[in-house]
Amino acid sequence: MNKNIRTALAASAALALTLSVTACGRDSTSGTSSDNQQVTIALSTLNNPFFVDLRDGALAEAEVQGITLNVLDAQDDAATQANQIQTAVTAKTAALIINPVDSDAATAAVKPALDGNLPIVAVDRGVTGVDVDSFIASDNVAGGAQAADALAKAIGEKGKVIWLQGTAGTSASRDRGSGFETQIATYSGITVVAKQTADFDRTEGLDVTTNLMQANPDVVGIFAENDEMALGAVQALGSKAGTTVFVVGFDGSDDGLKAVQSGTMVATVAQQPKELGKAAVDAIAKLLKGETVDATQSMPVVTVTSDNISDYIS
Amino acid sequence: MSPIMSLRGVGKSFGPVNVLRDVDIDLYPGQVLVLVGENGAGKSTLIKMIAGIHEPDTGRILLEGQPIRLSNVRQSEALGIATIHQELNVVGQLSVAENILMGRLPNRHGLVNKAAMRSIARQALDRIGLGLDVDTLVGELGVAQQQLVEIARALNQDARILILDEPTAALTGGEIEVLFTIMRELKRRGVAMVFISHHLEEVARIGDRVAVLRDGDLIDTVPAQTGEDELVRLMVGRSIENHYPRRRDYGGPQETLLRVEGLGRGHVLRDINLTVGRGEVVGLAGLVGAGRTELVRAITGADPYTTGHVLVRDLPLAKGSVAQAIARGVGHVPEDRKNQGLVLDSSVSDNIGYATLYRTARFGLADRAGQRRRATAMADRLNVKMAGVDQPVRDLSGGNQQKCVFARWALADSNVLLLDEPTRGVDVGARVEIYEFINEITADGAGVLMVSSDLPELLGMSDRLYVMNNGAIAGELDPATASQDDIMNLAVRQAAVVEGDQR
Amino acid sequence: MSLTPTAPTARPAARGNPVARFVANNGALVGLVILCVALWIATPHFMTTDNVLNVVVQASTIGLLAFGQTFVIVAAGIDLSVGSVAAFAAMVACWLSANVGWPGPVALVAGLVLGLVVGVVSGVSIAYGKLPAFIGTLAMLSVARGLTLVVSDGRPIGTPDAISFLGSDIGGFPVPIIVFAIGGVVCSFVLTRTVAGRSMYAVGGNLEAARLAGLPVKRILVTVFALSGVYAALAGMLLAGRLNSAQPQAASGYELDAIAAVVIGGASLSGGSGRASGTLVGALILAVIRNGLNILNVSSFWQQVVIGLVIAVAVGIDVLRRKNTHP
Repeated sequence: MNKNIRTALAASAALALTLSVTACGRDSTSGTSSDNQQVTIALSTLNNPFFVDLRDGALAEAEVQGITLNVLDAQDDAATQANQIQTAVTAKTAALIINPVDSDAATAAVKPALDGNLPIVAVDRGVTGVDVDSFIASDNVAGGAQAADALAKAIGEKGKVIWLQGTAGTSASRDRGSGFETQIATYSGITVVAKQTADFDRTEGLDVTTNLMQANPDVVGIFAENDEMALGAVQALGSKAGTTVFVVGFDGSDDGLKAVQSGTMVATVAQQPKELGKAAVDAIAKLLKGETVDATQSMPVVTVTSDNISDYIS
Repeated sequence: MSPIMSLRGVGKSFGPVNVLRDVDIDLYPGQVLVLVGENGAGKSTLIKMIAGIHEPDTGRILLEGQPIRLSNVRQSEALGIATIHQELNVVGQLSVAENILMGRLPNRHGLVNKAAMRSIARQALDRIGLGLDVDTLVGELGVAQQQLVEIARALNQDARILILDEPTAALTGGEIEVLFTIMRELKRRGVAMVFISHHLEEVARIGDRVAVLRDGDLIDTVPAQTGEDELVRLMVGRSIENHYPRRRDYGGPQETLLRVEGLGRGHVLRDINLTVGRGEVVGLAGLVGAGRTELVRAITGADPYTTGHVLVRDLPLAKGSVAQAIARGVGHVPEDRKNQGLVLDSSVSDNIGYATLYRTARFGLADRAGQRRRATAMADRLNVKMAGVDQPVRDLSGGNQQKCVFARWALADSNVLLLDEPTRGVDVGARVEIYEFINEITADGAGVLMVSSDLPELLGMSDRLYVMNNGAIAGELDPATASQDDIMNLAVRQAAVVEGDQR
Repeated sequence: MSLTPTAPTARPAARGNPVARFVANNGALVGLVILCVALWIATPHFMTTDNVLNVVVQASTIGLLAFGQTFVIVAAGIDLSVGSVAAFAAMVACWLSANVGWPGPVALVAGLVLGLVVGVVSGVSIAYGKLPAFIGTLAMLSVARGLTLVVSDGRPIGTPDAISFLGSDIGGFPVPIIVFAIGGVVCSFVLTRTVAGRSMYAVGGNLEAARLAGLPVKRILVTVFALSGVYAALAGMLLAGRLNSAQPQAASGYELDAIAAVVIGGASLSGGSGRASGTLVGALILAVIRNGLNILNVSSFWQQVVIGLVIAVAVGIDVLRRKNTHP
């Protein structure tokens, strides 16, 4: 049975891969010319607006640089990603941008590219134990601390807060959580009365917040480790959102920024996924020209509130 | 002589259903106790209690005078109780020796000692006089030999009590002789046996005493020499004068209801021509594999055919459309009622109503009350024994299940009934009721085509008789004058000729 | 056999008192009651009007998927695609409204029709194409999710008012509960009153016997998957309505919760049994557990363990019950 399921899953993954490649075919054909170099960007998933933005930033920069970008979507499956990279290297890709599904699993996945001496840039998540040419990521720990500050400011540095965690065991959840936890502890007037996972998912954010508000009706603030959960919390709070309960999210996604603009969210710690994508392609372009790049590049995260929202929304 | 095992006042219920009440039985070393009763009388439950599959709710089981609890099969086996079930418990992919020693293979540190295994298995086979190669895969053996392998296994486990659940049901005459010889040898060795059979003529030949069960009660324990008629009377609670009460009471105009013309499919069915008229029961004899079931399934639309036609009242039926055949009045009682005839977990009412479910519906809504009412009336007419029409049909005995299949077609007003082994696994009381039902519907002008391997039944109930072999009709006989030998001659001899031709 | 026409072999046993029988036949309901009483004792926040409404609202999405799944499981099939179909139908409906300008109610109906079409495609591939249901719907799981991403380009799309209404409330009473209730009544009605529903039990209980009794088994198989598709589409739009947004990854993995709800509700995966009321109870049990664990602030690591154990216990009890009532 187990074997059957695995076979079936593999089959569906293959089918899904075919579909996603077809869907992305459109993107990679833009701006083709004969002297273009083909660069592969292996993304963990496109099932999340953040990575869609990252891809869009990369595609825009690739067009500027005259690079053809081959976009791969691993559907959050590390094995799929390894296979995709192997295939891309076999197909003579010139360079690799990897956004690992899993940092540890990526060690093996990038081996074909290492063996081929291809330039490798890791984006958003690192590759464990491998010196990639450049690692570009937001500073999630600092971001978590910034979120704690924004929340503390919004609630006047006192009161009960709820903490919505991301998917248990992911690095984003760990880093944002540890930054938040350390920083929120410095405010003696604030107590975290509940921390529960909502799996980075909007629906779960809605249900879990609804449930937690039953047990803790006097909560004044909510920190969610991403905007999706924060938006779910806003949905759960209804008219309380932004008036008696203040929500801080993370990511600076389109919907999150809109919520900050409309006042239902008090802040989102904006990663800049398009900037991440742009910087990755930029680094690859330099590497292909033989120039050197910084081994690690930290993309700043920005606390977006009503004060500076106009800079981030078009 | 003191009994080796005694059951005192045992009873058992499943949910609300009380299947066995207050039964006292003694088993003596070297004796065969025959257990008879209609299906559903409680025989299976009784032996399952002795085998440790079910624990009794009331009463005690004594082994050599000591009360014991048999809460699982392993426990009863350890006490020397072995059961040969109707569904054989052998593994086809393993050898005879491995099957005989299953669970107790001679081994050293987990490695099987093959030489020891073979020699122990050979001894076990010798004990019952079976000259088989112990390395043969059991799957390659016939049913009879598989059964004997299972008996050898039981004896190798030093069984003192051996339960045989309808062991002769799947055996031919010669094979039954071999089994009885072995059983007599076991009697001589002092093994106590419980033997279940539907064939009353076997009772006197092998049994010492007969315990008769009816509706969960032990009616009586009588000597094995008791006459068959008396046993039947004890089993069904009344005497049955005529085992095949065929009457032709149809007095209306003659009409051919079913006409099969040149029906063929490869080697399976070859140029079949037959007719069934109003008020007629037409028998279809032949060996298993002669194409009888295939013919019936082709007529009813369950299977395709490549040549020929099926006409009901001179109108051709579409190939492969069960629904159309049913709409034209064809009803089919398949040979395997559990896998083909009934939805076992559904209620009696639902099962009786399936063929009329769509017909009686309005705007896609099932006529539940009406269907239930009609099913109840039909179940009463066929004397289906049940707690109620909402009971799952699974809980009914074989004969009553079969009556439900008949009731379905009676409810659908089918006037061409195709019966495939209609009384297989049906006990004598229900059997006669089914025959009476056939008499009733033919008196009303229906026609019946009946496949059966039970030759007395075919001769006793048919008005005309076709014999099939090797996919073709080998001949037509008049049951009033034909004998069983006449049927077998047509069924077997010609098959041999055809085989000879192919060589 | 006596000469009276209905001499029953089966007599009610003395110990079959009505309470015991009710408990045996409604194990899931008893479990739900026990669970609720335990939470009532454990926390004052559980048994409040608001929270009970929350639980039912939270059960509604899985519950609707599970009602659809009930048809399929009764007919001895399985539909793994319901989560993906839910997301797909909601996404297309919102896309039609946002990008093509269709009026909200029309887009909503279009989404339901899309669910129906997807279900028919699965059903035809299984009934006529002879694919095993597991494989046919697994393929649909992937195709529908992929198409959702294609349509949405991986981004959420806002919902039109008609769909948002499904997630709102009327005078404080949540609309999802109304939709959920209607879905349940329709499911129960179809299963118990219609010929199609009665036929589903026959097809699931014994396909060959149903065929030989003249039931249109292939049409019935297509019907169950079509119904499952419509219910999935409705669930998807209800979910989108609650979030005011159709999410590309919405309802992923929900198929397993839906199947669990049906099985907890007493249906057998081998077909032929299952009731809408049981499925309702199954969906409520899952929602109560999640709600209770949140309120009790139980670590997320343990929540998954608890849910797994509850499924195993619920189904295990049912297996034991069946074993004891059948010889």
